[in-house]
Formats: sequence, structure tokens, C-alpha cells
Amino acid sequence: MPPKISPETIISIRDLHAKVGDSEILRGISLEIQAGEIHAIMGPNGSGKSTLSNILVGKPGYEITSGEIFFHGKNLAEMDPEIRAREGVFLAFQYPVEIPGVANNYFLRTAVNAMRVHRGQEELDGFDFLTTLREKMKLVDMPEDMMSRAINEGFSGGEKKRNEILQMLLLEPVFCILDETDSGLDIDALRTVASGINQMRSPDRAMLIITHYQRLLDHVVPDHVHVLSNGRIIRSGDKNLALELESKGYGWLEDGVEASA
Amino acid sequence: MTASLDSLIQLRQNSLSGGSFDGQTDWIDALRRDALGCFKEQGVPTRRLEAWKGTNFGPLSAMQFTRVGPGPTPIDQRNEDIDGNGPLLVFVDGHFDAAASRLIELPEGLRARSLAEVLENEPELVEGRLSALTDFKIQPFVALQTAFLSDGAVITVAPGRQFELPIRLRFLSTSETATPEANSASFPRLLVIAGEGSSLKLIQEHVSIDSAPGFTAYVAEFHLAENSTVESLEVQAEDATRIHFTSVHAHLERSATFDSHVISVGNGLARSELSIILAEPDAETKLCGLFMGRGKAHLDHFTTVDHAAERCTSDEEYRGVLDDQSKGVFRGRVHVRPGAQKTDAKQSNDNLLLSDHATIDTKPQLEIYADDIRASHGSTIGQLDADALFFLAARGIDPDDAKRLLTGAFVRGVVERIESKELRRIASNYVDATLRELKGSPIRQSDFLTEAIKS
Repeated sequence: MPPKISPETIISIRDLHAKVGDSEILRGISLEIQAGEIHAIMGPNGSGKSTLSNILVGKPGYEITSGEIFFHGKNLAEMDPEIRAREGVFLAFQYPVEIPGVANNYFLRTAVNAMRVHRGQEELDGFDFLTTLREKMKLVDMPEDMMSRAINEGFSGGEKKRNEILQMLLLEPVFCILDETDSGLDIDALRTVASGINQMRSPDRAMLIITHYQRLLDHVVPDHVHVLSNGRIIRSGDKNLALELESKGYGWLEDGVEASA
Repeated sequence: MTASLDSLIQLRQNSLSGGSFDGQTDWIDALRRDALGCFKEQGVPTRRLEAWKGTNFGPLSAMQFTRVGPGPTPIDQRNEDIDGNGPLLVFVDGHFDAAASRLIELPEGLRARSLAEVLENEPELVEGRLSALTDFKIQPFVALQTAFLSDGAVITVAPGRQFELPIRLRFLSTSETATPEANSASFPRLLVIAGEGSSLKLIQEHVSIDSAPGFTAYVAEFHLAENSTVESLEVQAEDATRIHFTSVHAHLERSATFDSHVISVGNGLARSELSIILAEPDAETKLCGLFMGRGKAHLDHFTTVDHAAERCTSDEEYRGVLDDQSKGVFRGRVHVRPGAQKTDAKQSNDNLLLSDHATIDTKPQLEIYADDIRASHGSTIGQLDADALFFLAARGIDPDDAKRLLTGAFVRGVVERIESKELRRIASNYVDATLRELKGSPIRQSDFLTEAIKS
């Protein structure tokens, strides 16, 4: 049956089950995110948050056993990771990889131009790219020398996360997934990262923020908050749900699930 | 022993009357004859020999040869791909080609001439030097090369003279027909004599024009006097149909420095030997190598460093990238003789396999007979990091481009060790062209299998 998806819907996840190796991690997730919305997913360790984000960007090693994911009405599971990225899906990684020997600026230009070619735009030359790069770097407070260094090599935890946000600003994705981008950040870095994310807020874009804590959501206020536990969304609410979780923990929700099961 | 290249030897006999491989002086005739005898005794080396275990030169024995020396290649092919503006000597199938060369006036104290001309007019310059560093009684292809010795390059640097501008030697292999039965053979030779306190930069390229079925055997000897410095780049970029053999020998006197950079990007069967003798105290050498195999290329690198005196330094780093069904072989031998105290010897060979069908056979070796030294050796074999590949894909970068990006990062280190800008430029051109052709295959794991032994 062809999916009925409104043009406002950026991402539509339907009863998604997935496993890694032999263990089933996602046990029926359904979620729709409309253009302009920010959704936050919270939940204890091992609940499936990172699995969900990895599946959305097509990381090898994860198997969708049933259910569907539509991105702008297109079947996301059928796209290779680089196609998803060019179509506008972006994941800010929880643990950004270090790549010795590949200069950050060269990598960024290659990525930006891959996007531009996909969108039918002209590739940026070195000069034009540098102008754009400098402008975006200011937004995340990154010093210029970090650009000539190898990707994430020797970067602090905070620098790696800012580099992820910089990539998001440059690539201008439609659907941004932020996987624990706030973890390991001090207060100043958190504020910088949050302002980078807020720069990206727009009526055409959707965001999915995965986090353990309320503190990022103080800066980036979500429209919807979901609690993921044991591979299912067990509760959805507005921004107040996050505040409630902060004071009560996850226990009361999970107990409730056990009791009703 | 396998067949002994009868058709090739016959060509030599035929051309004796023409004077190609005889004449000039008695000592050179005697040298050639002696070498021919030594080759006939040894024949084409087989894998039964320890030094040839990784490489089968059987395909050479199967070749029929119809030509030694230059074929009729038009000038626009002989001087194509020539850029830069420094002195350039072109050799076509082993013979100096003045018309294709860029013969600019060299500064006083630096001379670059054809070996044929030197043997004709000034044989005493090379007498006692030519073949002084080789031992063709145990090196069959060096013997074969010497049996056919007639042309090549002689480069001399006067004592105390230092030259930044590199001399470029292009050795071209050609074929007038594309039939595999019509093989050509070429035997270029190089002799470098660097006087006391002198310095020289040198480029040697071995390139096939189109398909050039046949065999190239190249022998180079570097004599480095006290305090002299030579930086050498040797590129092997021959065609898949050509079998290539290189044997480079360097002899270093007190405080001399020899920096060798070898780039192997050929598509066929190739063996590259490098043998360095640190004969007197405080000599230094760098051996940097990069081999990039594609298709069915077989790239064998056999290096020897002989620490024969005190306080000498050797720093060897070879990297291999192997794609498709290519095979790499690395044998590195560092020999520290008794009395060579305070030796500092480093050796490493790191390899990247891009395909499930590519193989590497690597064996670093240390033989130490002195007790107060520093030495290390190790080799690694790995694949591209799957997490890095995924990260780049997740940023929209084409998987093939991602592979090239990561492979480029792996090989860049070797190219960056080249100090001379012009040598680095030429090396980069070959490496970049090869990177563009790499395809690679799906990558499964990111772990590096590492073996490092320190002593």
C-alpha cells in the first residue's frame, strides 16, 4: 500500500523493528516529524536511541526486520548512506571519528561539493568555500587553525562536537539528528553548540535530538519529547515531559509500563 | 634453472658484429663477457632461491625477444609528458635520445652525459667505478644487464659543488608492434659519482610508451664521497606487458647522505632492489618507498642496508597499497656488522589491502653483530577503517572518493618525506594519477593486524 504522507512530513517511521546481530533492539517505533518541528528522544542507556539514529543514516550492521521509514515520502531504507546525506539527512555523531591524514577543510569542501552537485548547483572553488567556511566557523566559535588539522585528530571532546555542528551548518540538511551532542560539553561549549543548532531551526527543517539530559533542551526548546525504553516509545509529551523526567528519573515511567503489561 | 633467455642472448651475439656491445675498450669488453658467462651459469632466478621466494620470474623465460635497443618511436611520443624546465635526459629502450632530451647548459662542476659517449671518449672516467658496487656472480639480472651494457647516464658532481636543480632521467620502453611475440629488451645503466662535499638531486623515471611488451633491466650505481649528499627519486610506471627489474647500489663514505625515494606504480611484474653500504662512520641514509598495485601487478621490493661502520643511521619506511589481484612483496634486510657501534637503524613496512584478492608478503629482517646499537623493525597489514569510510559516506561523499581520500592519507606520508620540491612534485603526479584509478572493494573490518618487534 503506498504511504499517505503529507508534504509537511519530513520523516515518518512506522512500526520499526530492528536488530543488531541476534538481538532485537527496536521493537516497534512509530514517529512522525513535520517540517519546522524539533523532537527530543530521551531514555535510559540501552533503550535503542543510538540504534535508531544509526538506522536512519544507514550505518552497516543494523538490520530492519519490519516496519518502514519514509523521508519526504521516499523509502529511506533503500538509499545508500551517501545518498541519504545528499538528500538531506544528517547525523551529528555521538563519537565523531578521527581521520589522520585528511585535512578538515579539504574534507569539508569535498562534502559540500558532493551536496552541491547532487542539488544541481555549481561546485564551490577554494576561495568561495573559504568565505562560507569562515562565516560558519564564527557561529561555532572555532579557531581557524582547526581547519588545516586532520579531521578530529587531537580535538578535545568539545571541539569534536563543535566540528559536527559546523558540518551541519555547512551541509544545510533538511533532517538533523543530534546523537548526544550535549554529552561531555562544559557550560560554554553547550551554549555554543546550542546556538549552532538554533541557527539551523527553520520552517523547512526537522530535528531529532537524542539526549539524556534536560540541559540542552533549556537552550533548544523541543516541540515534542518522547521517552524510549526497551526499543519502544513509552511516553510522548511536550517540553514539560523533559522537565518531569529530570526531576523524577525514568523509573516511574518504566514501572508504569511493567505494571500495565 | 629455467630457460636462459636464448632468443635474447642470440640478439646479443648478432649485434656483436655491429659493435653495439663490443668495441671501445678492452676492460669493458672483458666486463661484458664475464657478466654474460655469469648470467648463463645462473640463468633466470627461480623461487628456490631465498632472495626470490616471493616472486616468480617465469613469465620472462617464456618471452621471445626480437629487439634490443631503440625501436622507431616518433618524437612526439618520445618527449610527451615532459613538464618542468630543468635538465632532462631521455633514453629510449636504454639508449640516449638527444632529440627528445632537454639539454640545457649545466653549471660548472655538474656533468650529465650518456654512458655511450663516455665509453667512447673518456672511458677512464668510469673504469673501476662501473660494476664496482655490484656482484654479478650472485646477481643474475645484474649480470644480464652488464652483458648488454652499452648506454645509459653518467652523472658526475665535482667536489664541493652543490646543485639544487634536479637532473631528470626518463627511461622509455617502446614497442612497434602489439603482438606479445615481439618483445623488446632494454638495459639502461646509471653511474653517479658525487665528489667530496657535493650535493645532487636526481629523478629516474621508467615509463612505457603505450603497451611495450618486453623486459627492462636497469642497474644504477651511486658513489658518494665524504660529506656528499644525494637525493634520488626513482619511479617505476611501466605497462602491464613489460617485466621490470631495477637494481640500485649506493656506497657511502664518511658522513655522506643518501636519500632514496622509490615510487612503484607499474601495472606489471616488477622487482626493485636497493642495496646501500654505509662504509664509513657517520654516513646516513633514508629509504622511502611506496608501491601501489592494481590489476595483476606484482611489485617486489628487496632492500639491503649494510651498516659497516660506526655511528651510521638508516631510516627505512616502505608503504604498500594493493588493490584488485595485485601482490606486493617486501624484503628488508638490515645488517649491522661487528664493530658498527652506535648504529641507529629503523625499518618499517606498512601495507593497506584494498581488495580481498590482493596479497602482501612482508618480511623485515635485522641481523645484528654489534652490541651497542639502536634498531627497530616492524610491519603492519591493514584495511581501510570502516568507521572512517562510513563517516565520509554519511557526509555525502562518494564511497570511491572516500576510499581515495583515506588511501591518499595513508600514502601521503611517504611523499611528504621527499625534501626536494621538484622531486616531490613529480612523485605526487604519479601517486595522484594512480589514486584516481584505484577502485577498491567492499571493506569489512577496521582492525589493523600489527606486528612490531623492537630490539
